[in-house]
Parts: sequence; C-alpha cells; structure tokens
Amino acid sequence: MTEENKWERVSGSTEEAERIYRKSRSFLGDVWFRFRHKPTALLGFILVVILLVFCLAGPAFTPYSYSEQNNKLASIPPLLTVYPGPEEGSYLYITQGLKLIEVDEDGNLIRQLKKKKDDNTNKQTSFTWDDDTLVYLDYSRLPNTVLDADGNRIETGLKKWNNTYRLGTDQLGRDILTRLMYGTRISLMVAFIAALVNMVIGIAYGGISGYLGGRTDTIMMRIVDIISTIPLTLYVILIKMCLDDGLLSIIIALSSVYWVDMARVVRGEMLSLKNQEFVLAARTIGSSTKTILLNHLIPNAMGPILVTVTMLIPSAIFMEAFMSFIGIGIAPPMASLGTMCNDATETLRTNPYQLFLPALVICIIMFAFNFVGDGLRDALDPKLKK
Amino acid sequence: MKEETAVLQVKGLTKHFPVAGHKVVHAVDDVSFSVSRGKTLGLVGESGCGKSSCARTIIRIYEPTAGKILLDGDDISLLNQKQLLPYRKKMQMIFQDPYASLNARMTVHDIVAEPLKAHKICSSRKEENEMVSDMLARVGLNRDHAGRYAHEFSGGQRQRVGIARALILKPELVICDEPISALDVSIQAQVVNMLRNFQEELGLTYLFIAHDLSMVRYVSDDVGVMYLGQLVEKCEADEIYRHPLHPYTAGLLSSIPVPNPRLAQEKEKSGLEGDLPSPIAPPSGCRFHTRCPYASSCCREEAPELKEASSGHFVACHRIHN
Ligand SMILES: Nc1ncnc2c1ncn2[C@@H]1O[C@H](COP(=O)(O)OP(=O)(O)OP(=O)(O)O)[C@@H](O)[C@H]1O
Ligand SMILES: [Mg+2]
Repeated sequence: MTEENKWERVSGSTEEAERIYRKSRSFLGDVWFRFRHKPTALLGFILVVILLVFCLAGPAFTPYSYSEQNNKLASIPPLLTVYPGPEEGSYLYITQGLKLIEVDEDGNLIRQLKKKKDDNTNKQTSFTWDDDTLVYLDYSRLPNTVLDADGNRIETGLKKWNNTYRLGTDQLGRDILTRLMYGTRISLMVAFIAALVNMVIGIAYGGISGYLGGRTDTIMMRIVDIISTIPLTLYVILIKMCLDDGLLSIIIALSSVYWVDMARVVRGEMLSLKNQEFVLAARTIGSSTKTILLNHLIPNAMGPILVTVTMLIPSAIFMEAFMSFIGIGIAPPMASLGTMCNDATETLRTNPYQLFLPALVICIIMFAFNFVGDGLRDALDPKLKK
Repeated sequence: MKEETAVLQVKGLTKHFPVAGHKVVHAVDDVSFSVSRGKTLGLVGESGCGKSSCARTIIRIYEPTAGKILLDGDDISLLNQKQLLPYRKKMQMIFQDPYASLNARMTVHDIVAEPLKAHKICSSRKEENEMVSDMLARVGLNRDHAGRYAHEFSGGQRQRVGIARALILKPELVICDEPISALDVSIQAQVVNMLRNFQEELGLTYLFIAHDLSMVRYVSDDVGVMYLGQLVEKCEADEIYRHPLHPYTAGLLSSIPVPNPRLAQEKEKSGLEGDLPSPIAPPSGCRFHTRCPYASSCCREEAPELKEASSGHFVACHRIHN
C-alpha cells in the first residue's frame, strides 16, 4: 500500500473482518499444551509411564518369580562386601548365617562353599574351596572376615554390586526387584480399579444429587456423610471376614468408600452449573435430563473430576500399602509394597535396604500421581490460558 | 377478537422464591399481559425488578407460584416437563449472556442442532447438516464456523449462534431476555435488525426484555414497565414516550442520556432517586411510594390497581386514577 491511499477504504465484507485468525485448538489440545509446559507435570507423567512399563513388562525380563525362595541366598544385599578368594579373580562373600559364597569379578554369585569344620575355640570355620584347598572364615571379632593364605585376617573388604540379584534378596531368598515389580503392579491395579469404580459411582451419585437438588439432595448427602464417618480399616476387616481374599476386599472397601469425595465434588459442580444459562437453554429447548447430564453438565465438570481422580489414586495406593502393612491386605506369597515393608521391619537393623526399596517405590508412585494431578488441575483451568 | 390472536397470555402470574429463614423473594407478583401474533411486547424495568424471573417462569424453567400462562390458548402453567415438550417447540428463548448461554465443550454445529435432536426432527444426518448450515447462513455465520467451539467466537457471533439455536425450530413465540445488553454498541444494532428481519420473515412474536427504554421503543409495539415484580404501566410504545403516566416510567425516561446538555440538566430533576427496595419485604401499598416524589398517605396503605387511564393505556397509580 502506498503513502497516498493509506486512508482509502479497503474492500472486504464485514464477514471477512469477523473471521477468526487465531489458531484454533480443540479443548483437549489446549489442555495437553498447558500440561506439557509444566515441568513437574511432565515429570510426573513420565514417571507414571516408567512405572507402568516397570510393572507390566518388567517380570518378562527377570529370571525369578515373586514366590521362588532360595534359603541359601537369603538376605543378600545389593551392595556386597567381598574378600579376595584363593584364586585370582574370585571373591568370597560372608552371609549373615556365617556361610561363604563365591562371587566372581562381575559380582555374580557362583556357589555356596561347603562347610568342613567348625573350630569353636578359635572361632574359625573352614570351608572346602576345591579338593585340596581350604578357606577359613574368622568370626572371633567383628567384622567377620576371611583369612588369607598366611592365616592373617583380611581387615578391609571390597565393595561389589550384586549382579545376580540386582536389588538383593529378602529374608526368604526371593528377588526383591521381581517382587517390587509385582508389588507395583498390585498397587497400580488397586489404584486404577478404585479410581474407575469411584469415578462411575461418584459421578452418577453426585450428578443425580446435585442436579435434582432439594430434598433428594439433602437425603443423598446425609447418606454420604454417614458413609464417610465410618473408618476405612473397619470396612476392610469386615469385608475380609466374608471374602477371605485380601486384594478383593481392599478393592471393594476402597471402592465403597472413596467415591464419597468424588460424589461431593461432582455435586458441588452440578449445583453451580445447573443454573448457568446454557443448561437453562437446554431445558427450554426440551432436551431430556439424560442429554443435559451427559452432554452439558458432566463434560463441563470434567476438570475437577479428573483432578479428584488423580488425587485419589495416590491415597488409594497408600491405603492398600497400609492395609497390607498392618497385615489385613494381600496374602503371601503375593508381593505388595505394603507386605514387603512389613516383612522388612523384622530385620530392619541388619537389612535396611529391604525396607528402603519398597518404601522408595511407594514414594515415587505418590509423587508421580500427585504431580500429574497438580498439573492436570492447572491445565484444565482455562483462566491460565497462555 | 384480540383474545383470539394472542399468542401469549399471562394472567396473574406470580413467582416467589423461598430463601433461607422462611422468607420469600417476591420476584414476580400478579403480572398480566398478552402479546398478539406477530407483535412485540417490550418489558422494561431496573435491574432486579423481576424481568428475567418473569420470562423464565413463562417458559417454564421456573415453576409458577400462581397464575396462568396461555400459549396459543392452551394453559401450560400446570403441565409437567413431559407434557410441555410439544409446547417447547413453539416457544424459545434468547439469553442475556452470550458467553454463559453456549456450552463451551460443544461445537457450534452441535449447539444449533440440539433442538433438532431433542424433538427428533431430522431423519438423517444429511438433513440435519443442511438445516444447521442453512440456519447459520441466515444469522450471518458461514458453514466452516460449524465445526468450531463457541469460545473461539466474539460476543456478537456467539449471540448469533444463540439466535440460530432459538429459531431453528421455527417457534411462534421468542422470549428475548436482554439479548443485546452484553454486546458492543456497534454490534447491538446489527443483532436487533436481524431479529426484526426474522420477525417479518417468519411472523414471530417477541417478548423483548430490556432495561433501557430507548431501544425498546425501536423494537416494540407495546411496552410494559415493571417495578419490583409488578407491572405498573402498559401501553403502546410511542404513547409511553409521549405521555408517561406513572412517575416511575417518567423517571426511567429521564435516565436515557440526552445529547443536548441543557435539556439534560432539566431532565435531571425528575430522575429516579434511591435504590430498589428489597423484594423480600416489598413496601406496603404502592411499592413505588418509597421513591415516589408524589407519594401520599393513600399510596402507603393501599395498592393501586392496573387500570385503563385512556384508551389502551394502563397504569397503576393512585394519582392518575383519583
Ligand atoms: N433462583 C432464585 N432464587 C432466589 N431469588 C431469585 C432467584 N432468581 C432471581 N431471584 C431474585 O428475584 C429478583 C428478580 O431477579 P431477576 O433476575 O428476575 O431480575 P431482572 O429484572 O432480570 O434483573 P437484570 O436486569 O439484572 O437481569 C432479584 O431480587 C433476585 O435476587
Ligand atoms: Mg435479567
């Protein structure tokens, strides 16, 4: 455009003027955009994906099963303290039961040495290495150690990572890594089933209560109040008495109680949404109650619903772990993060890793879902649109 | 004769909202009027005087406390929602807030097609698409707007979507609840003219709610003035501007901005003073007496009736009738 005709009317209809040039994103696209630009949310999401891969695909890659016991190799830690063996490149690991295990250069456990003779006066035990070599274990004072060829105590051991059982074994000789996979699987399963059931019951109950309002609402909400005052532990114990199956009773108990929060959230949303003009418009049009609930009310309440679900997941996971920990949950030999913690408390002083590892996994799961929930809440809030 | 052609007749319509502490809000109290076919009745009044409540009770979003609503001569005030369904096709509503009245999670197509689905009008998807894009074209939106979400549109465009949704069923009566008060001044005229064109084309009957009289004069044949839930004056649109009888109407008229500053100064004297009293405990007698410059003891004690002062001009005021 040249200088002279700068003020001339440009041709073009109003229609063109009103056309929208902003790049349009769908609602879900918007949410994903905001979600992925929040580092903690993204981190949480990645952690959830890793956890899912870990617990679903993981068991296919370990040679052990969650129940397979090996009493000879009980309570082997992930980081071994080893002493040089009689041959070059061979090492010896002393178990808590004062047995010797041969470990190779890479940290693989090779075999358990056979005990020859126990010398109670010198506090030494001899083990056969091969037909004509003996090795001596000295337990006269701590730390227990192995004697070298000249019969002197080897005071300093080497540190080696356990290559056979990456995260060690528990006191029954079961691979902790494998059990963690199964435990995580149970935790996530409990969480997702509880979340799904709660979502369905909570949305239906809260939706009806909030939409109908009035007396129906009052009665339905009093029922909710009553349910939420009875402690969850009581439900689990009662249900377990009838069912015998720990996992199922936990799922039933969680499902029958946790929907209460969801129902409250949904009801609150319904109360505020149902008098908005677009809902009134749907009523003047003559849309059925079903259409109004499914097309208008619930989609608009989806934000708080999703946030409640993602916040509910970590608390369901924690609840399962807690129930299993106090012994009314998953039945052995099935692994759950809670039962693993419980088993570990007995030998906490000698084998702290047995408690630390499952507790760490619980922490990671809780963090991951809380981050995701937090991120979703922000992402679903259109006021934060960038 | 007039009775027969009335599309909407309202007789003694009352709507009370119970609120906390066993009190009631007298949102609409004993309102009667009728609207003839193809005509527009403008309903004006200050904010909070019960215009929206009146409209929503007529269209049966709210249950009427008392009174009759006759649509085409059929009383719909006592029907339940299921029995109302066939009548819903005949009356539709355009809402005040173009942002709140469209569902943000639905595309424009789904919004405009919702009445068609509710009344199972289209037999095929193709027919529905045709009707929707035809309707969108008539309100000045084009075909490719249909797939977008409402939040991507300007206020004026959203209100057009709202109008398309209300008119797609070809209703007889359309209640417009302040359809332009949330819009930009430049778009207001466009929307009002579009509504008038539709009225001519489809022979629509409007109940047009607004809070300023200047615009109502332009669109209405008759005007009703509401104060605190009651109708205080009712007559032809031009008549009310030339001879406002009720002091409240005079006050409302004086609040229209005037371009001439000298005239404006004169007008200021008769302007309305004070606030709207609470509809929970409305004043005794004439509800306007707390703000009326001419109030006498009679006004405080006895409620005036809506009576004809001159031909076709109804007013509820003791000063006029005595
Ligand atoms: N659902 C409700 N419950 C209780 N009171 C209500 C309800 N709806 C409206 N009211 C009250 O009824 C009175 C009339 O309200 P209404 O919305 O009809 O006014 P209005 O004339 O449309 O005002 P505006 O011009 O601001 O839209 C107000 O005092 C309002 O507080
Ligand atoms: Mg209103």
